[in-house]
Amino acid sequence: MPTTKQKNTTPQQRNYQQLQQKHEIKRPVLKNCLKAFFVGGFICVIGQAVSYFYIYFFDFTEQSVGNPTVATMVFFSMLLTGFGVYDRLGQFAGAGSAVPVTGFGNAVISAAIEHRTEGFVLGVGGNMFKLAGSVILFGVFSAFVVALIKTLLVIWGVL
Amino acid sequence: MITRYQILFACLFLLAACNHNPPVRDSQLALMKTTNPKPLVTDQNKSNDSVKEIKKDVSSFPELYDVAVIKGKKDTLVVYKVKHLYRFKMKKIEKNVNKKLEKKYPKENFTVSSDYKIFLEAIRLDEQMKSAKFSHKEAEKRLKDIVKMTDKTK
Amino acid sequence: MLRGHQSWVFENRPMITATGVTGGPFEANGKLANDFDLLYEDLWMGKESYEKAHSLLLEEAMKMALKKGNVQKEQVQFLFAGDLINQITPTSFAARTLQIPYFGLFGACSTSMEGLALSSFVVNNQGAKYVLTGASSHNAAVEKQFRYPTEYGGQKPPTAQWTITGAGVALVQPNEPGKQHPVTTSATIGKVVDMGLTDPFNMGGAMAPAAADTIIAHFRDMKLEPSYYDLIVTGDLGRVGHDTAFELLNKSGLELERGQFQDCGLLMYKNDQPVQSGGSGAGCSATVLYGHLLNQLKKGAYRRILVVATGALLSPLSFQQNESIPCIAHAVAIEMNE
Repeated sequence: MPTTKQKNTTPQQRNYQQLQQKHEIKRPVLKNCLKAFFVGGFICVIGQAVSYFYIYFFDFTEQSVGNPTVATMVFFSMLLTGFGVYDRLGQFAGAGSAVPVTGFGNAVISAAIEHRTEGFVLGVGGNMFKLAGSVILFGVFSAFVVALIKTLLVIWGVL
Repeated sequence: MITRYQILFACLFLLAACNHNPPVRDSQLALMKTTNPKPLVTDQNKSNDSVKEIKKDVSSFPELYDVAVIKGKKDTLVVYKVKHLYRFKMKKIEKNVNKKLEKKYPKENFTVSSDYKIFLEAIRLDEQMKSAKFSHKEAEKRLKDIVKMTDKTK
Repeated sequence: MLRGHQSWVFENRPMITATGVTGGPFEANGKLANDFDLLYEDLWMGKESYEKAHSLLLEEAMKMALKKGNVQKEQVQFLFAGDLINQITPTSFAARTLQIPYFGLFGACSTSMEGLALSSFVVNNQGAKYVLTGASSHNAAVEKQFRYPTEYGGQKPPTAQWTITGAGVALVQPNEPGKQHPVTTSATIGKVVDMGLTDPFNMGGAMAPAAADTIIAHFRDMKLEPSYYDLIVTGDLGRVGHDTAFELLNKSGLELERGQFQDCGLLMYKNDQPVQSGGSGAGCSATVLYGHLLNQLKKGAYRRILVVATGALLSPLSFQQNESIPCIAHAVAIEMNE
């Protein structure tokens, strides 16, 4: 994992960086991947259970059950964040708990809790999407680009 | 630490307690296992031979398992589960099923769906129709509701 | 008195007569819990914000030092202190409460030794009768500013360090012969060293060359051999930085023993605490020195120690703008009064 940019460094700096790399504790990538796989998978199993719950007891079809399931999962992660459990899970699971939608909920609510002391408007309101804001921005933007491409392909008769 | 384990055990016992409900109806497990329901006709005076035929035809698709067919006055509902590995091709399968059915039974008005929810409702309707209290009219109405629900899935 | 290029010798041997050390819940579970004067069982410390709790930590540490030194706050001439928060407000707010003439310092995690060197210099040259000096950090307040929100479930790499919650304050006054107190004998002020590292989750690696640079300068200026000190302790290099600094020093020709070279960030916590590479923060070197190490000195476990506090002079803004992390280290030599 390169931690330094190689440009604009003096030979002395490069020498040191090589020496430093030797002592740097490496991330246990394989172990992290496995943990992420199982924790992430487990979160998805819970999500699946929640969506079956909605299918069974409410009038949601497979297509429309997505929204309430996402809302419920985000709600769960908000509770866990509030009780101070989710950050520990995050340290253990890494991407496993960050990639599912629960990670998004955690990013929003942790920022909101953090800045509560600065007031509701400028603190919570202004900082809530500090981390999640870029997810929303680039998510919406990439959705727009993909939709645009699809529309063009349909117009040109490719699809 | 002890308390944590105690809570875990308590949860396990609570979960285990759920297993004591003896009569498990098909609809409770319809999403997990193959139920293979009998094809139905809401108007029980009519014979269900044609429906059986439809079910056989749809079941012949290798990508599918578990097919439910319900024939009402106007609509015929065909619901199936798609084998897991073929779920990416679901749209194409639906198109093929539709094509095949419309070719063979041009008079019928088919509603084809692979949605678990529709499947579940079909099984539930099946169970309700078995009880005597459930009239044909009600069955017909319920079928219409289910057909309406499929519109939302598209 | 200046000696060599960048070192002071305190020939009047200013005394550290009393210290006050406060800590948070995480430190209470650490290895050095017994060396703290006051430990809080939760991070809020009964305050409505972490920043106020941060101020309280320092305030209580200062009051503790004054009480133990049997000195009224009106008698104290100067306060040299600092922390890591923007515009060092927690320290300034604590100074507002205590009403002691105040120098606000910022040297990131090296603030503790910057303050001790300056106060020793002032006391040594009859600039004051009593000086308070200290540094503090609060885990949640600092992480909030430099990293992600505390409850955010991001995975920290094994090179990351845990900002300690704690404040260490020392009362420095002129030497009185015969009194059994630790005294400061010399100090070396470091220069800013930047080896071009940019990873804020690997501060130890960035700070190691600064520590090595200051230690080498100290031995050069003072014309001493490393064996002169029983213990050379770095501030908060953590596992990664400490190993790196050790290799740098041995390569430069200073012959250090492994057991003689330790790190405050590694002394603080037990191995099973989830602190990754070790403790860090302005309070780290302050609490370990003013708590644990001075107690050890008094017990006679060490005769002379050299404390090298290291600081990473970055801001959340600078590393987002892809600036590298410049670092600094200051060293102060401490021994028991004869």
